[in-house]
Amino acid sequence: MAEEKFPINIWINEDRFAALQKAKLAGLCEEMLAGLKVLRVYANAVERDKILKVFPTAKFDSATTKSIELLPRDVKDKIFDKIVEKESVDIMADFLKAF
Amino acid sequence: MAEIGHGGKEIVERIMEPSQAAAKIKGLTQIPIRSQLANEVIGITYGFFSPLEGFMGKADVDNVCKNMRLAGGAVWSIPIVFDLSDKEVADYGVKPGVSVLLTFGGNPMALFEVEEVYDYDKKFMCQSVYGTDEAKHPGCARTYQYKDKFVGGKITLVNRPKINPPYDPYFIPPLEMRKRFKEKGWERVVAHQTRNVPHTGHEWLMKGAWFQAYAELPIEKPLVGVLVNAIIGDKRKGDYIDEAIILTQDELRKSGYFGDHNHLTSLTFWDMRYAGPKEAVFHAALRTNLGLTHHMYGRDHAGVGTYYGAYDAHHLLATIQKELSIVPVYSMNWLYCPHCGEITSEGLCDHKKEWQKFSGTLIRSIVQDGVKPPRLIFRPEVFDLVMESAEKYGFGSPFVTDEYLEKRIPVFEIPPM
Ligand SMILES: [Zn+2]
Repeated sequence: MAEEKFPINIWINEDRFAALQKAKLAGLCEEMLAGLKVLRVYANAVERDKILKVFPTAKFDSATTKSIELLPRDVKDKIFDKIVEKESVDIMADFLKAF
Repeated sequence: MAEIGHGGKEIVERIMEPSQAAAKIKGLTQIPIRSQLANEVIGITYGFFSPLEGFMGKADVDNVCKNMRLAGGAVWSIPIVFDLSDKEVADYGVKPGVSVLLTFGGNPMALFEVEEVYDYDKKFMCQSVYGTDEAKHPGCARTYQYKDKFVGGKITLVNRPKINPPYDPYFIPPLEMRKRFKEKGWERVVAHQTRNVPHTGHEWLMKGAWFQAYAELPIEKPLVGVLVNAIIGDKRKGDYIDEAIILTQDELRKSGYFGDHNHLTSLTFWDMRYAGPKEAVFHAALRTNLGLTHHMYGRDHAGVGTYYGAYDAHHLLATIQKELSIVPVYSMNWLYCPHCGEITSEGLCDHKKEWQKFSGTLIRSIVQDGVKPPRLIFRPEVFDLVMESAEKYGFGSPFVTDEYLEKRIPVFEIPPM
């Protein structure tokens, strides 16, 4: 069985979308919830637990969405910047090195 | 005509007229109370907690813990108790037969006619009410924080609370609420318990419950309403601020997703116990007193963590249905189906693989990222009002922060007499 992955949703507002378009990365976006644009960055179970520990406001929505939510805005901004830098959403291991 | 409340007893407000009160409380020992107890004094005296007439004595507490009933036989699931330390009992001279004056914020609030001072096994209380005695359960934590002794006796309000804006229009006590329902011509009213800013999943929970409650009634004129009854009490960091909750719930009516003919928003002061099934039973009593005929229960009603199964509350309610005069309406979750292109019920749509479920947490996360969700998910008027409330009441944040907890406008105050 493939390793279970837990998404962090980086919701795309106009500023973020403009940054993605500029970097020609708009294609990384998925659409969720009636057209809302999102970048989904996946964490494995170990990474998920580390995120929840390092950022105590974060919450794992185990009941409904199985996603990691409520990371502070500035943390999400840093994740977003990393995606733009690496031109990929596969950045979680790299991102967590700093913590 | 007598207004009959939970347990078959007439609802009588226990409120003294100001002209009478001053003489009654003169010279009494004053005991300041914390907000939880002030909330419960309001609950008792306005009839939200009918048939309770005061804080519970030992026989009631024991029956509630062992049989989920008051000593008099009415179904009741959560002890409503007044606690004091041994030292306070001695210092204030609290003993049976003595009356004391409860004060809040330095001003006289209620007359307490002490009938009994007793102790009770808190661990047993936790196990009975919460199904666990773990201190990390928030209801148990609250129970363990109670001081050495409990004091039972009747409570009479001597000074009405002043409800501050923007909450004031939403404080509608049982007798007034029942009058409003009559004016609206509603034959059935279904309660929506909330501590949330509504997303369309919540909106559809209400709409679904409205259909369920309507059932066989004639449709020529509106006969069924939804009552949003927001629980206002202790806040946890990261919750939506109370102002945003109450105003956005009402906004669904103001913006036409509902209307005056089928929707009303109100509040009850209560510090959530997270007792799951037992809290569901408490809600049934509370909303019976408010004059409701039906009550919505979703999955894991008033639960916390993994303490209760999704349908435990439904199962418990089923065992006492004959003793209740409110009908439970069970709700399945609503979700977005891109195939249907609409919000639909998990009990209806079969495009399971395409379902996009959303939760309050997910919406909070979107809002926190500064993103306006699509109107099918979160109403734009609700979003705008959340942002406006953040500026106006939340010190820039729609979520509870330390600053909010410290500086927020009190929901109510007890004025000087
Ligand atoms: Zn569908």
